[in-house]
Amino acid sequence: MKSVDEHWQALVTTALLGTDRREPPEAPQLIADLVADTARTSASERMLAQVAATTAVRRAGVVPGPPLDELAIPDGDDRRPCVPAAVDRWHHITVSWPVLEDEWMLTLVTAGWRIAPELLPAMLVRYRSDPVRRTRVMVGAGSTGRWLVGHLPDLAARHPNATVTPEALAELPELPIAPELAQLVNWPGAESGGVLAQSLEDGTLGHPHRAMLINLVARVRADALLDIAEILDAVDSISAGYGLATVLGDLATTRHRMLDELSTSSAG
Amino acid sequence: MVDHQHVGFTCTCPSRNTPCKHALALLLLWIRDQVVDTPPPAHVSTWITRRSAKQTGSSRAAVTGRAASEPAGSETVEAGDAIGESEPTQPVPQPDRDTARNDRVERMHAGLTELDRWLDDRIRIGLADPSLARYATWDDLAARLVDAQAGSLANRIRRLAGLVGASPGWHDDVLAELGLLHLLSQAGRHIGSLPGPLADAVATSVGWQVKQADVLAGVPDTDHWIVAGRSDVREDRIEVRRHWLRGSSSGRWALCLSFAAYQQSLDTSLRVGTSLHADIHRYPGPALRSLVGSRYALPVEPVSPPSHTIAEGCDEVGAMLVTEPWLDRLPVTIRARLAKSGGVWALADATGSLPVLDAGTRQFDVGLAMLLAVSEGREVDLTVEWTPLGVVPLSIHLPDRTVDIGPRANASFVSAA
Repeated sequence: MKSVDEHWQALVTTALLGTDRREPPEAPQLIADLVADTARTSASERMLAQVAATTAVRRAGVVPGPPLDELAIPDGDDRRPCVPAAVDRWHHITVSWPVLEDEWMLTLVTAGWRIAPELLPAMLVRYRSDPVRRTRVMVGAGSTGRWLVGHLPDLAARHPNATVTPEALAELPELPIAPELAQLVNWPGAESGGVLAQSLEDGTLGHPHRAMLINLVARVRADALLDIAEILDAVDSISAGYGLATVLGDLATTRHRMLDELSTSSAG
Repeated sequence: MVDHQHVGFTCTCPSRNTPCKHALALLLLWIRDQVVDTPPPAHVSTWITRRSAKQTGSSRAAVTGRAASEPAGSETVEAGDAIGESEPTQPVPQPDRDTARNDRVERMHAGLTELDRWLDDRIRIGLADPSLARYATWDDLAARLVDAQAGSLANRIRRLAGLVGASPGWHDDVLAELGLLHLLSQAGRHIGSLPGPLADAVATSVGWQVKQADVLAGVPDTDHWIVAGRSDVREDRIEVRRHWLRGSSSGRWALCLSFAAYQQSLDTSLRVGTSLHADIHRYPGPALRSLVGSRYALPVEPVSPPSHTIAEGCDEVGAMLVTEPWLDRLPVTIRARLAKSGGVWALADATGSLPVLDAGTRQFDVGLAMLLAVSEGREVDLTVEWTPLGVVPLSIHLPDRTVDIGPRANASFVSAA
C-alpha cells in the first residue's frame, strides 16, 4: 500500500514526462475515494484530479520535520542592552542626522550599554565597509556580535584586515567649524544660543553656513543643548533665518534626547 | 476628443471611466473659454463627420421606431458613443445590475474553463517542456484571467511563474500549485452547487470583488485584537502589507490588507505588539480577510498572543487548510529556536522543526538575522507566517516588547514603509 508521500513522488515523475507519455499512477485508496466523484475520460483529467486531491491532503496534514540540535549560544555579557528609545533614536539619526552616529556609538560604549540585539544586523550591514565604526559596533555588541557574524557570513566586514588605532576608536571625528564659530562650542547654552538666534534673525548667518552650523550644534557642550533648542525655537517666524533655526533646534533636541537615553545613570 | 454639441467623447487612454479625465479636462477648458479656436485636425474632422452622420441615421431610426411603437434608442446610442467606441453600435437596453453581474459570472466562468484547458495541456505535455521557463507562457494566461475578472488567480499564476527553476525541487512546488489551481477552477465553475460559506471562500479566492462598504455593513466581531505580525510582499507592481490580528477572547485570526503602488503609502495604523479594542468585519465565507471598523480605545502594549509548540502550530495551520486548501499564507504563534539542518535555517523545538523560507541568494534576510541576534539561539515566542515553502518569521514577542522582524517594503518604492 503506497503512502500519500510515495504517491506524490509518482505524480511528480509522471508530471515531468507528461501524460501523453506516461499514464497517471494508481492512487492509494484515500486519494481514489476523493477523486471518485466524477468520471474523467482523459489521462490528463485523471492526473489533475489526483494532483489536486493529493496536494490538499498533504497540506492539511502538515507535520513538523524532525527535531534539530541546538545552536551553541554566545558567551554571556553583563552589560544591559540599550533601551528601545535608543534603538528608535539610532534609526532616526541614521535617516535625519547622520552627523550624530559616531557620538551615539561612543556614548553607548562609554556608558556601559550593550547594543540592543535587534539593532545589530542593521549596524553590521551599515558599517561593513567602515573599519572604525564597525570595530566600535563589535565592541558594543560583545560576544553576540562575533557569534552572529560567525553564523551569517553576509554580515562579515568588507575589509577584515584593516587596522584601527585606539585613538580613532575612542575619539569623535573632528568636524570642520569656522574659527569665528568654534569658540561657541564651549559657551553656556544661553549665550551660544543667543548669538546663533541673533545672527540667524539679522541674516549674518544663513543657508550658506548650514553645514558649518550643523557641525557646531553637533559638537557644543551637552549641557548647552536644551537652552540652544529653546532659544532657536523662539526665533522670529517672519525672519529669513527661521527655517534654519528650526532645523538647528531639531538637531539640538535630538542630540539632547540621544545623550539622555544613553546616559550612565540610565545604564546603572 | 470631445463633441460638446452632441455630447460625446473618445480618447486613446485605457481608462474605464467615462468620460475619462482627459475628456473632462477638455470640457473644463472649454467652459472656461480656454480652448484655442483653430481649424480641427483631420482626424477630429473625420470623427465629427462620422458622429453627425450617425446622429442623422439614429434620428431617422428613432422616427421609424416611434412609428412602430418602439421606444427610442438614441440615448443608448449616445451612451455607447460616450465610451469612445468608434464604430456605430446597435441600440441596446441599458444593462441593469443583474445583467452586469450575470455577464461578469459568465466571463469568469469562461476564464476558469480556459484555465482548466491550459492546466490540462501542461499536464499532458509535461513540466519538462521548455516553454514553462518563458515568462510569456504564464503572463499571457494571467492577462486573460484578468480580463475574465479572476484577478486573484492571475496573481497566483504570476507568482507560480517565479517558482519555475527557483529551486532544485521546483517541479514539486509547481505541480502542487497547478493542482490547487485546478481545484479552484473546478470549484469556481460549480460554485452554485457549493455550500454557502465554501462558495464565498471560492469566489473570493478566484477574484470576485466585494465592496468594502458591504463588508463594513456586516456583523462586527468585537474583541481586543492583538496585532501579532506584519509582512510586506511585492506582487507585480503593488506592495501588499498583511497585518495578522488575533482575538484575545475568541482566539480567531484576522487578516487586514493594505496596498500601495509606487510612492503611495501603506497602512501604519496597526502597530505590531499592540492590542486594539475594535470591531473587525470579515469578508464573506470562512476567509481570514477582514476590515477594521470602529476602534473603542487607543492601542495598548506590550501584548503577545499565546504560543504553541511546533507540533501544535502545525495542527492549527492544518485545521485552517482543511477549510481552504488553497490558502498560501497562514499565521501561527509558536515557541521555538533557530537551528540549522543541512545548511538550511529552521525553527525547532522538542516536538519537531519547520524550515524557514529561503529569501533567495540575492538578498540578505534581515528578519532572520534579527531573530538570530535577539534569540541568541534560545527559544523565544514568535509569530510566523506559514507558507508551503517554509515559514517567514514576523515578530518576536519578548516579555517587555515585541520586535517586528517581518519583511519590509522598500522605502524607495512606497512611503511609510
